[in-house]
Amino acid sequence: MASLTAPRVRRRTQDEVGPFAHLDILVLMLPIVISGLGLLMIYDSSRRRLATQGLSSFYYVERQGIAIVLGLIAMGIVMAVDYRRIRDAWPLVYLAVLPLLAGVLLLGRNHNGAQAWFQIGPLQFQPSELAKIAVIVAVAGYCHQHRGDLDAWRLAVAIGLAGFVMAIVYMQHDLGTMLVIMVCATSVLVVAGLKPVHIVVLLLFAASLVGVAVASGAVKTYQLQRLAGFADQSTTGTKVSKQNATQYNLGQAKAAIASGGATGAGFGKGLQTKNGFVPEQHTDFIFTAVGEDLGFVGGAVLIGLYGLLAWRLWRISLLSSDFFGTLLVMGVLAMLVIHVFENIGMTMGIMPITGIPLPFMSYGGSAIIASFVAIGLVLNVHMRRFS
Amino acid sequence: MSDNSRVRVTMIGVVIVALFSALLARLWFLQMGPDQRLAAKTPIRTTRDIQTDSPRGRIFDRTGRIVLAQDKVAWAVTVDRNLARRTRARVIGQLSELLGVSVDKLQASYESKRQSVLKPAVVALDVSQDKRLAILERQEDFPGVGVTQLWVRTYPGAAQLHDPALAAQVLGFVGEIDDKQLKQLKQRGYIAGDEVGKDGVEAAYESVLRGKPTIETVEVDPTGKQVGDPIKVVPGSVGHDVYLTLDARIQKASEDALAAGITAARTQQDTSIKDHLAFDKAPAGAVVVLDTQDGSVVAMASNPAFPPSAWAGGISQQAFNELSAPDAHNPLLNRATEGLYAPGSAFKLVTAVASTRDRVRGPYEPYLDTGSFQIGSDPPLTNDGGVAYGSIDLQRALAVSSDTYFYSVGDILWNRWRAGDPNGLGIQQVAREFGFGSKTGIELSEAAGRIPDPKWKQEFAKAFYKTKSAQQANGVWYPGDNVHLAVGQGDTLVTPLQLADAYAGFANGGTIWTPHIGMRIVDPMTKKTVRTIGRKARGHVVIDPTVRAAMSAGFDGAVHANGGTAETAFQGLAVPVSGKTGTAQVYGKVATSVFASYFPSTAPRYVVVAMVEEAGHGADIAAPIVRQVIEAMNGISPVTAIHPRTGQHD
Repeated sequence: MASLTAPRVRRRTQDEVGPFAHLDILVLMLPIVISGLGLLMIYDSSRRRLATQGLSSFYYVERQGIAIVLGLIAMGIVMAVDYRRIRDAWPLVYLAVLPLLAGVLLLGRNHNGAQAWFQIGPLQFQPSELAKIAVIVAVAGYCHQHRGDLDAWRLAVAIGLAGFVMAIVYMQHDLGTMLVIMVCATSVLVVAGLKPVHIVVLLLFAASLVGVAVASGAVKTYQLQRLAGFADQSTTGTKVSKQNATQYNLGQAKAAIASGGATGAGFGKGLQTKNGFVPEQHTDFIFTAVGEDLGFVGGAVLIGLYGLLAWRLWRISLLSSDFFGTLLVMGVLAMLVIHVFENIGMTMGIMPITGIPLPFMSYGGSAIIASFVAIGLVLNVHMRRFS
Repeated sequence: MSDNSRVRVTMIGVVIVALFSALLARLWFLQMGPDQRLAAKTPIRTTRDIQTDSPRGRIFDRTGRIVLAQDKVAWAVTVDRNLARRTRARVIGQLSELLGVSVDKLQASYESKRQSVLKPAVVALDVSQDKRLAILERQEDFPGVGVTQLWVRTYPGAAQLHDPALAAQVLGFVGEIDDKQLKQLKQRGYIAGDEVGKDGVEAAYESVLRGKPTIETVEVDPTGKQVGDPIKVVPGSVGHDVYLTLDARIQKASEDALAAGITAARTQQDTSIKDHLAFDKAPAGAVVVLDTQDGSVVAMASNPAFPPSAWAGGISQQAFNELSAPDAHNPLLNRATEGLYAPGSAFKLVTAVASTRDRVRGPYEPYLDTGSFQIGSDPPLTNDGGVAYGSIDLQRALAVSSDTYFYSVGDILWNRWRAGDPNGLGIQQVAREFGFGSKTGIELSEAAGRIPDPKWKQEFAKAFYKTKSAQQANGVWYPGDNVHLAVGQGDTLVTPLQLADAYAGFANGGTIWTPHIGMRIVDPMTKKTVRTIGRKARGHVVIDPTVRAAMSAGFDGAVHANGGTAETAFQGLAVPVSGKTGTAQVYGKVATSVFASYFPSTAPRYVVVAMVEEAGHGADIAAPIVRQVIEAMNGISPVTAIHPRTGQHD
C-alpha cells in the first residue's frame, strides 16, 4: 500500500520571506515625498537671498539633499537591526547621547539663542535632535521592562530619564526641543499606563515649575517675548510701529499665508516669502512659502500628507507585536505630531514661536537625519511584527 | 496589547485628529475665511536709498594690450560702526578665528582713518565663499558683521610686469572723497563716502572713468533689512575706459633703468665730504619719454614710487604713514611733472638759440675757452674740473659742454640789458618760447618752474626780505644772475617734463606740444571711441637752419665726438642718439645728474630725459639711465649695466 506522502509543496511562511517583505510602503514613501516638496520650497524661498549674496542658488538645496541621502542611509541601518535588540539595549542608547549633549553645552556654538550646535568643519551638528529619539527609546524600554507594575517610584525613574535630558537641553536655551521631549515622554507614559491621579499631580508640578522659572528669571526675555507676541496678535504686521521683532515676524508669516488664498500665487511667485519679508523662511517658517505659493490647496495637501503619515504610525503602534513597539511608535508619533502642529501652528499664529523645524521640510541636516532615523524605528517595528 | 493600552492609544489618536483639524481649520480661516484680510496689501514702510557702485572705467596702455587699472569685484567682510565696544571686540575675535587674520590686523583696519566713517568698516577683502557662508549662516554669532560686494581697483599690468608700483604716480589712486572735493562735485551726484580719483590719470579723467552708481529706493523692515523689490531704480552706468599714450613696457624699462641708476649712484663716493667716506644719497629721480611728433608721453617714471593697490578697500593707516614718512622721500610726488630742478648744462639748448638769434655769437664763430670766466672782481667761474677747451665754436661748446662759452653769452646779454637793449633778456625770452617757466598743460598736476629775470628777482626780494635796504640790495639783477641762468643754474627751475618737451620742440623743428598722456576714451559697452585726445601745439620756436645744424652736430657730438661729455656712457650703442648732459649744482648738496636726449639723431622720434637728485655728473648716472631706456625701446636686451662714475667732465 502506497503510503501517502506529504506534498512537497511548502507553504510560504512569514519566517522565510524576511522582514523587509512587510514594509509599510506608505510610511516609507511619505517622508521621501515630503522631503522632495521640502527641497522645492527651500529652493524657492532661499534662492533670491543667496543670489544677492553672490552664492549658488542651489546652496541650501544641495546641502539638504545630502542630508536626505544621509538620513535614508541612517534609516536603512536602523531598520537592519531588530528593534528588540535596541529595546534590550535602551540604557546604552540613553547613555550614548548624554556625552554629546553635555559636550555641546561646553563646546558648542550659539545659534538663534540656542547653544545646541557642534561645529565640525563646515558642518553643524545638533545632538538634541538625536536626544529626542534616545529619550523615547529609553522611556519606552524602561516602561516595557516594568510593564504592568508602573508604580509611583518607577514612574519617577521614567520621568527622571526624560527630565535629565530636558534639563540639559534647557541649559542650551532650547526651550522648544525641551517641550517636544516632554510631550513625547508624556505620550509614552500615558500609553504605558499612567494613572489619572499621576497625570493631575504631574500637571500641577509642571505648572508650578514654569511659574518658578518665569518668576526667577531663568526664562530668557526673548522666550517671554515670543510668548507675549503669540498672546498679542492685535497688530497685523503691516503696521510696524511699536512692535517687537516677534510680532513682526508673526504678522509677516500670517500675511504671507493669507496672501496665498485658495490656490496660491504659484510656485516661485509668492512675493512675501520670495522677497524675504518672512524671516527664517527656508528653515522654521518654510510653511509660509507653501501657504503663499500653493495656497489652501497646497497647505491642506501637505497637512493631509502629515495626517496620513500620522495615521499609519498610529496603526503600526496598534499592530506591534510587543509593548515596546507600541510605546516606541507612540513616542515617534507624538514627536511627529507635535513638530507639525507647533511649527505650522506658529506660522499661523495659533502656537507660540519656537525654533522647532517642520519634519522633512525645514532646512537642517540634523533634524532631517533624526526624522529618518525615527521613521526607520517605526518601519523596524512594523516589518518585524510577525517574527 | 491590553485593552487598557488600546483605549489609551485610541485616546491619543483622537487628540491627534483634533490637532490636525485645528491646523486645517486655521488654514481655512487664514486663506479662505475672514482672516484673509490679513493678506499683504501695499504695506506702509520706511524707505531707504541704496547706492550700488558701478565699476570705474579701465585704464589701458598705448598698445591696448596691457590693462594698467581695472575694477574687480571683491567680497568684503564689514563690521558695523555702531556696535558696542564689547560686542565689537568679541565679533572681531570671532572673525579673526574664522578668517585666520590676527585680531590686531582686523582692529587696525577697523580703526584706519583712511576708511569712510559713514560706511561699515571693511576689515577683510577677497573673502572666500565658505567663509562668507559661515558668517551668513550664523548671523547671530556675528552681530553687525556684513558681507558686501565692493569694487576694488586692481592693477593687472603691475602684476603682469612684476612691478607693483608700475606707473604709480601717473595712474594715481582712488580713495574716499574728501570734504573739499565733495563740495565741488556735489552737483555731479557725488555723495559722502564715494570713491574718487585722487591723483594722476585717475583724477585727471575722473569724469570719464567714474561709473555712475545705481540708486535703488527700497523698503526696509523695522530691523532695517531690505524687503521686496526696489520701488524706484535710477540705473547707473559703467565708467568709460581711458587709453593712455603710455607704453607699459617702455614705462617698466624706464622705471627699471631709473632704479638701476639710483642704485649705482648710491655706491658713488660723495666727493664734497672730505673727512669721511660717504656715498651719494640719490634719494629720487625721474625719467620722461616723449614722442616728438605729438607730445604724447610714452613713459614717465618717478622714483621712489608706491603700489597704488595699497589704496584698495581703504588704505591702512600704517601703510599711509609709511608713505608719508620723511625718509620715504614723498613717493606720491610725480617728480617728472612736479619735481623742480636746476637743469644745468642741459639748459644750454636755450642759451645756444638765444646767443645766435640775438647775434651774440654766430654758430661757427670761435670763442677762446681759457677754462675760466671772470665777472668784475668776483672770483673766476671755471669749467667743470677747470679744463680749458681752447678755440671752440657752438657745436664743440655743446659737445664738450664748455661753461665759459655760455657764461660769456650770459654776461654779454646782461650788459645789453643794462644798456636798455630789449634783447638783453634774450635767454629768458627763448626759454619761455621753449615752454619753460609755465605749466605745460599736461592732464596731470605739475609745477610751473621758474625762469629768473630782473622783475622776478625784485619781487622775490620784496617778499623775502624785511628791510627796505635789504630788499633793494638783493633785488638787483646782477650779471652773475644772467650768467648762471645761461648754464641752467642759479634760480632756474624746470621739471623733467618741461625739459623733455623743450628738447622735443628742438628735435621736431620747433613745435612745442602740450604734452598729453590720454590717447582716447572708449565706451566699454559699445566699444566705440567717444573722444580722441589729439596733439596740440602750444608754441613754436624759430631756429635758423644753420644754427639748428650746428646745434644738432653739438648734441650728436656730446654722445659721439671724441671728448663728448656722454661719449663713454653711449660707447658701442648702435642707435644714433643725440643729447646733452647736465650736472646741476644744488647748494649744500651733491649735484643733480641730468641727461636730455633724442633719437634717432637724423629724424628724431623720441625724447628721453633722466634727472636724478644728488647723484653727481649727468654723464655718470642720468646718461646711462637714458641709454638703458633707449636700448629697451630698440629691443636691445639685456641693457647695459650702470657702473658708477665712468663719465667725463661736464
